[in-house]
Amino acid sequence: MDFMFIVFAGLAVLGGLVMAFHQSIVHSAFGLVGALFGVAGLYWTMGADFLGGLQVLLYVGGVTVLLLFAVMLSTRDSTRLALSRYVLVAPVVGLLGMFIFQAYRGVYQVVQVLGVQGPEAPQPTTQQIGELLLSPDGYLVPFELVAVLLLLVLIGAVTIARRGQEQDEDQGQPAGTESGGTP
Amino acid sequence: MSPFLLTLNDVVMQGEPLGEGAATGLVGQLSSYMVVSGILFVLGVATIITRRNALYVLMGTELILNAANINFVAFARFGGFGIDGQMMALVVVMLAAAEAAVALAIVLRVFHDFGSIDITRTDSLRD
Repeated sequence: MDFMFIVFAGLAVLGGLVMAFHQSIVHSAFGLVGALFGVAGLYWTMGADFLGGLQVLLYVGGVTVLLLFAVMLSTRDSTRLALSRYVLVAPVVGLLGMFIFQAYRGVYQVVQVLGVQGPEAPQPTTQQIGELLLSPDGYLVPFELVAVLLLLVLIGAVTIARRGQEQDEDQGQPAGTESGGTP
Repeated sequence: MSPFLLTLNDVVMQGEPLGEGAATGLVGQLSSYMVVSGILFVLGVATIITRRNALYVLMGTELILNAANINFVAFARFGGFGIDGQMMALVVVMLAAAEAAVALAIVLRVFHDFGSIDITRTDSLRD
């Protein structure tokens, strides 16, 4: 098996294990960083160079920083895990895993019957992705929809996060140093 | 054999219907990526179920989305489906980033209103 596959798959699984089972939420967040970076490496081993770079930029750089900010702003207790919860949950997760692998086995046989051809050597994918994103018979409509959605998310997140401060000002409590510009 | 009866042999995908040589060839590579994806998915579900902190639920969701993305890219690479799988993974990454932004804003609101982000305590709509 490919050496790089083993390295990145091990990183992903190890990070996932740390995230799922560590007591401290900050350690769990860094476990998630490891898992996401491992997934980016798996993309690279599959020849998806652009997607791997995007994964590092967006997930490892962006989402994780957001998560750490939320951890610092909101967590008081470390929400300790009780062993009894694991005992209750273990059969559910085990059954779920078995069903997933059974479904995988079905897909696996279908692909084998279809007869896959050997993959050609990996090509740079950035130009192909760019052309597909902007061609009308490609992914132009989903691309524009994602753009609109991101604008909505930007406005919505700011609105949701600011509503509490306005209520504080109505109740006469000091709302910190921020004061202004509310429409 | 019944399709719902699982043996350990089936779970690790070494049953007899797959034929010899499959584990070393192209389909073997595909299945190894699928196994990693399945492990990550189960870890994400375990995180969501066991923790009561809303941030852990978010982290588990991210891990599940990444597990699905591995499958998209693996089938695009080894299944002969061209680059379309990578485009789907691209859209999923964008939506996951948007979801994280909104969900973290909601988490901050919930912390502000309830003084805690324990998801079992945000039950003011219950009664």
